[in-house]
Amino acid sequence: MLKLKDRVAFISDADHPSGRAIAKKLADEGARLVLNSRSNGASIAGDVASYEKAGAEVLVTSSALVTTEAVVSVLGECVAKFSRVDMLIHNHNVVTKMDIEHCDEETFKRALDENTKTAFLCTQIFGKQMGDIGGGQVVYVSSIHDEKPTGSAFLYSIAKGAVKMLCREAALDLGRRDVRVNLIELGPVEGDNERFASEISDLYLDYQTRIPSTHLGTYEDVANLVWFLVIDESRFLNGADIRMDGGFTLHYMDHKMRKLTDAARG
Amino acid sequence: MSLEGKVALITGAGTGIGKGISKVLAERGVRIGINYNSSEDGARDTLEQVRALGSDGILLKANVADKAQVETMMKTLAEQFGGIDILVNNSAAQKNLGLMDYDEAGYDLVMSVNLMGYFLCSQASLPYLKEAKGGRIINVSSVHGKRPTDFDVVYAMTKGGIKMLTRECAIEFAKYGITVNTIEPGAVQIGTKSGKPRPIVPADKVVDEHRRRGGRKFPLGRSGIPSDIGYLVAYLASEESEFISGAAIRADGVSMLM
Repeated sequence: MLKLKDRVAFISDADHPSGRAIAKKLADEGARLVLNSRSNGASIAGDVASYEKAGAEVLVTSSALVTTEAVVSVLGECVAKFSRVDMLIHNHNVVTKMDIEHCDEETFKRALDENTKTAFLCTQIFGKQMGDIGGGQVVYVSSIHDEKPTGSAFLYSIAKGAVKMLCREAALDLGRRDVRVNLIELGPVEGDNERFASEISDLYLDYQTRIPSTHLGTYEDVANLVWFLVIDESRFLNGADIRMDGGFTLHYMDHKMRKLTDAARG
Repeated sequence: MSLEGKVALITGAGTGIGKGISKVLAERGVRIGINYNSSEDGARDTLEQVRALGSDGILLKANVADKAQVETMMKTLAEQFGGIDILVNNSAAQKNLGLMDYDEAGYDLVMSVNLMGYFLCSQASLPYLKEAKGGRIINVSSVHGKRPTDFDVVYAMTKGGIKMLTRECAIEFAKYGITVNTIEPGAVQIGTKSGKPRPIVPADKVVDEHRRRGGRKFPLGRSGIPSDIGYLVAYLASEESEFISGAAIRADGVSMLM
């Protein structure tokens, strides 16, 4: 029995590797998909074809999601096609390398709009619709950097700090309407050492070795947790921020880090 | 713990907590840049009180969400008193609207004042704080940086952002010897009644009437007053606190644990 049979999932950044992995998992579990694509579907055309071949219904949208009007409009597209949306997966994660000393206002606003305002507007507008139909789920794919500073991308961390509080507020507000709201604080995946390379912080230096198992996370790990957060078995999880980082952020001064084995080095 | 002769910029100093901080620092000989945007009368009153306490100050009208105004404000203060040692980010907008009631303009306003304003003031004060040798940034946030409000979603979001702004500033500005910390006040009485602190009631004197007035929410016997926050600012502004940076100190009369 497919746990998500006919449920409708909206994925906010379907082109991102996390969005692609989540879409695949949810489609495999029987969900109908709304894939909001920055490339208007071009970069996920192969994925969409394979989901449809397997019998899934897919709608591709292409909205920047940074104005109320835009989000209302994209919800309208979803409702026209599927009559409802049951779950919102917000996975906008745009990392802007910039230090505080030299950041200009436009860069600040753009990064906050992209990472935070999209989350706020989607939560408000999709959340209302889910409340109106009697329930649903919101999941934010966020980051350990809503707690841990980056030393290289402060706009990302403050944006994610704000989303963490959005999650808690929405858990109260929407929770009273049977919409559950949870957040994943994702730790290191391949490439984060470059995304967050910093002249101040050594956090990502030999980053595999800071994970006790020396295994980096993958977007499939994210997809599996998203799946758990939208099925009924997780019904008592609401307003939770689940740190999924393999233990990466538990180090203090790196006393007992493992050496990288050749196997772990790949 | 001497702050004599230091210069502090306090945003939102015309009312409430900002006024309380201004007075405590003035008592310790700090000269105060009294920023305000709409509370002109309140700011004038703060200046009078600062002078009555034997210090000096200057009124600085500026919208903290406007970079040009913020830069002019910093320059004016530094020219008046010869530099800036302490920045207290304190100004905040609040709409008291729930998730479903906010419109986009309200969201943008609260975000720009509470979060971008803290960023702009931190950035614009940096050239002066570098010169200060032991510069201080103190961000007044709220218990709602961790605990949701259930009455103003965007306010809480900005406080979540300030938590991370503090941490990022702390690691980026460490090379300049500048410390950056957050204060998380719980409910603080502001306005005309807040001038005189009510004494903390010893636990064995807490009576039923007091409990009815909220004693269970505030086990120490009262809610906060602006000077409570002022005393903590004075400590975080002092040399004695130089090993504390990137921290968030809750000042809430234990209320968040209840």
